[in-house]
Amino acid sequence: MRRSLIIILVAVLLLVLGFIYYALDPSASTVFPRCPILTLTGYKCPGCGSQRAIHALLNGDVAGAFRYNAFLMVAIPWIVLCLYAESRRTRNPQLYARLNAPLLAWLLLALVVLWWVLRNIFDW
Amino acid sequence: MQYWINHNGVQSGPMDLDALKQMGLTSAAYVWHEGLSDWVKITQIPELQDVYVMEGAAPEVAEIPEIPPVQRQDEPVAREPYQPQRQPAQPYQPAQPQYAGPQPANAEPCPPTNLVWAIISTVLCCLPAGIVAIVYATKVTNKYRAGDIEGAKRASEVGAWWCIASIILGIICQPFMSAIPSMMGSMN
Repeated sequence: MRRSLIIILVAVLLLVLGFIYYALDPSASTVFPRCPILTLTGYKCPGCGSQRAIHALLNGDVAGAFRYNAFLMVAIPWIVLCLYAESRRTRNPQLYARLNAPLLAWLLLALVVLWWVLRNIFDW
Repeated sequence: MQYWINHNGVQSGPMDLDALKQMGLTSAAYVWHEGLSDWVKITQIPELQDVYVMEGAAPEVAEIPEIPPVQRQDEPVAREPYQPQRQPAQPYQPAQPQYAGPQPANAEPCPPTNLVWAIISTVLCCLPAGIVAIVYATKVTNKYRAGDIEGAKRASEVGAWWCIASIILGIICQPFMSAIPSMMGSMN
């Protein structure tokens, strides 16, 4: 019972957020959270541009989404797979264990840091 | 009574008391049975005090096949009565795959690593706190594999808090950041 309630709440929240990000342009509005790293240091963090990328994606502009945050676009299919594994954790623990292996986590960490450095050098 | 065992990260069960005696368990093993809310150390269950030896007293698995049961009597071991029985069942344990067999519904040995949430908060919440959460995700699995279930649980919780901190900090920073309009022009 509690589990299905959480699922419904999350679904509603995602729909509302999805509509907000579809309807409003984060680069033209001050309502959206700003990246503190970029504001304070002037350097982009690994997540900078994610809100604008989601706005572009929801409006069908895939090329624009890649321009704002290519890493997010590449990560979305992986995140979806992981969330699926998370929901099937008791029924399919092997898939979960594979996707959460420490080696993979270190690899992801390395990719995030690499993306962080490269995007500030090449202004991606 | 049926028992499930987690010994050095290898899970098996259900088994009855006689089967447990055959397993050659040490005091490092964890047990779950109907009525328990979570895994407990085998030393905490009085009725199982005869099925394990204190850690360190157990023979190494590798040398088991070579030693016939008779010789084992000479070795200094804490509890004699069941020592010979442990011999034939020993090779069975390493052959057990990690997730084989039915698992009790409410006992999940490896705590959640939160890896996917760590990635999401790194990419969406604009805060490197998510990176700390990724490191903790690796700790959870590593500690669990090393048999340190308590440590894995702690790492799992700390990682989850880093994810939450990442999200909350991202939201809280909003009004503060809006107060620096001169720098905002470079962001769009």
